[in-house]
Amino acid sequence: MSNQSSQGIQTLLEAEKDAASVVQEARQYRTQRLKDARSQASKEVEEYKKQKEEEFKSLESKNAGSTENLQAQVDKETEQKISELKKVYEAHKDAVLDKILDRVTKVNPELHRNLRKLES
Amino acid sequence: MSRPLNDDEVLSEMNKMVAFIKQEALEKAREIKVKADEEFAIEKAKLVKQETHAIDMLYEKKRKETEVAQKIAQSAQINKSRLRILQAREQCLQDLFSTAREKIQSLSQDQDKYQALLQGTVVEGALRMLEENVTLYSKKKDVSVVETAAEGAKGQYKEISGRTIIFSVEGELSSESAGGVVLIGNNKRIVINNTLDERLQLLEDKMLPEIRMDLFGINENRTFYN
Repeated sequence: MSNQSSQGIQTLLEAEKDAASVVQEARQYRTQRLKDARSQASKEVEEYKKQKEEEFKSLESKNAGSTENLQAQVDKETEQKISELKKVYEAHKDAVLDKILDRVTKVNPELHRNLRKLES
Repeated sequence: MSRPLNDDEVLSEMNKMVAFIKQEALEKAREIKVKADEEFAIEKAKLVKQETHAIDMLYEKKRKETEVAQKIAQSAQINKSRLRILQAREQCLQDLFSTAREKIQSLSQDQDKYQALLQGTVVEGALRMLEENVTLYSKKKDVSVVETAAEGAKGQYKEISGRTIIFSVEGELSSESAGGVVLIGNNKRIVINNTLDERLQLLEDKMLPEIRMDLFGINENRTFYN
């Protein structure tokens, strides 16, 4: 009889062991899943970051291009304005010079307004 | 049924128990796996959301910085352009004035005009000084012309102010001067520089607004003209 019961207990113990390993396997699966979550998330994030970086780079290069264009345009406008300026100057120069020389030689001597002419 | 179990019954009970144990284990394992998958999805979504949000913030900041830098560059551009235009204007003015300075040298050629000018400037200066004794400095070669002018000036001065005045002429002015006189009174303590160079210098300054308008057009940004 005791042989039978010890055999029975043996069987039960083995069944327990198998059960435990099934559960253990499930738990390992869970751990693995968590790791997968992290690694997959990390990969997706990398992708996203790369995409964003490319977007940003293309925006930057577009900006750099437009800045250069703007600079060239501004410079050209400035050059234009300066040459316009010089032309106008040359056109008016003589007239202004005459005006200045005129005033250099213009004298209008008068008594200070607070004074009165002395009558002798 | 309290009689002891026979062998078959024992075996069947055993099998039932074993099956039960196995069944429990499988159910538990399934539960664990299902929950694991849920947690997987949640954790992954959470991590992705967190990180992508951080990345978005980062790139937004970068974008703003670029924008600001661009605006700064633009503004610097405009400034530089304005400065260059102003420099060009300044150059024109320098040219104008240096030409003027050359031209006044020839003002003394016309004898009659020069004489009149000298007399005028002498009276002008004398009326400012209101001294009785005035020394006139002129160029060495102008001394005689100035003496003549001084004579006329005496009369004109008396006419305008009713006062008498005595002029003495000395040729102390540098020969590089364009002409004109320097009036000195009160024991060399009052000096009126009425030379052509000095007059031009004063005019350069006073006429700037007018010159600006003549040469460069009116200033659209200006509102006050008094």
